[in-house]
Amino acid sequence: MTSPQLSNYLVSNRKRLALSQKEVAFLLGNTGGAKVSRYERFDREPSLETALALEVIFQRSASELFSGLYQKVEQGVIERAKTLASRTDQGNPKRQIFTNIANKSLN
Amino acid sequence: MNTIYPKEFRVLAIAPVTRGFGFAVLEGQDTLVNWGVKVVNGKGNKNAKILPKVEELIAHYQPGLLVMEDASAKGSLRHPRIQRLVQQISKMAIIQKVNVTLFSREQVTKILFSDGQWTKHGLAEIVAKQFPEQLGSKLPPKRTAAMREHYQMGIFDAVALFLVFRLKRARGQIEMCQYLYPRQ
Repeated sequence: MTSPQLSNYLVSNRKRLALSQKEVAFLLGNTGGAKVSRYERFDREPSLETALALEVIFQRSASELFSGLYQKVEQGVIERAKTLASRTDQGNPKRQIFTNIANKSLN
Repeated sequence: MNTIYPKEFRVLAIAPVTRGFGFAVLEGQDTLVNWGVKVVNGKGNKNAKILPKVEELIAHYQPGLLVMEDASAKGSLRHPRIQRLVQQISKMAIIQKVNVTLFSREQVTKILFSDGQWTKHGLAEIVAKQFPEQLGSKLPPKRTAAMREHYQMGIFDAVALFLVFRLKRARGQIEMCQYLYPRQ
């Protein structure tokens, strides 16, 4: 039995460091904790700049902090890579690149 | 790649206390996702105020399982209000297709205390050892007769219920795919 992946793990990381929403907001360059609260309640997705700032604050990669979102994005990219691979001719070297993206085997 | 948080089932553990309830949300084997105490203020029907807060947690975290203390177990000294609350929460969770499992204090003692000597502080110490980074600093001081129970003790009670679930599951004593409430 599995539960749907959570959009982000900001609450657990904030509480792990015993930081308040206000303190995180200040570190992000905001005044109040309302925005942080909205991120934590999955009501709002942060900008790239904020996501990177959160990575700095919590010392966790953005893909870990936003693992649910990451998974969603990853799935979208994989689907589109499959489409491109199917549209590309057999002899074209890009086909292998798209296939690798679709199989998540870039390394 | 997502390695820290494996895609696993999520457990919501709830421990009712006098002024509300302690809760913990956990994923997989030992990922503490959220924890805290929800307090209800004012006079009136406390259970009616608590239920929406639990509902909110269920809606937000979509747990696969809800774990609570079996307040109606034989020998339980929990207040009738708490007994009613556990029943109400269980019914609400089942309606929302969340499995529910209840553990009596006797079961908690058997699983977590090898010497059978249950103490509230001992329980909190066990939990704090399991999650030192998150809960180590929250461990309340040992209570004396003149002190009230620390309001955050509900968090430790809730996490302890998860630990019991985890151990019982590892021993194959829990069937995850069935509704475990009402008790048979």
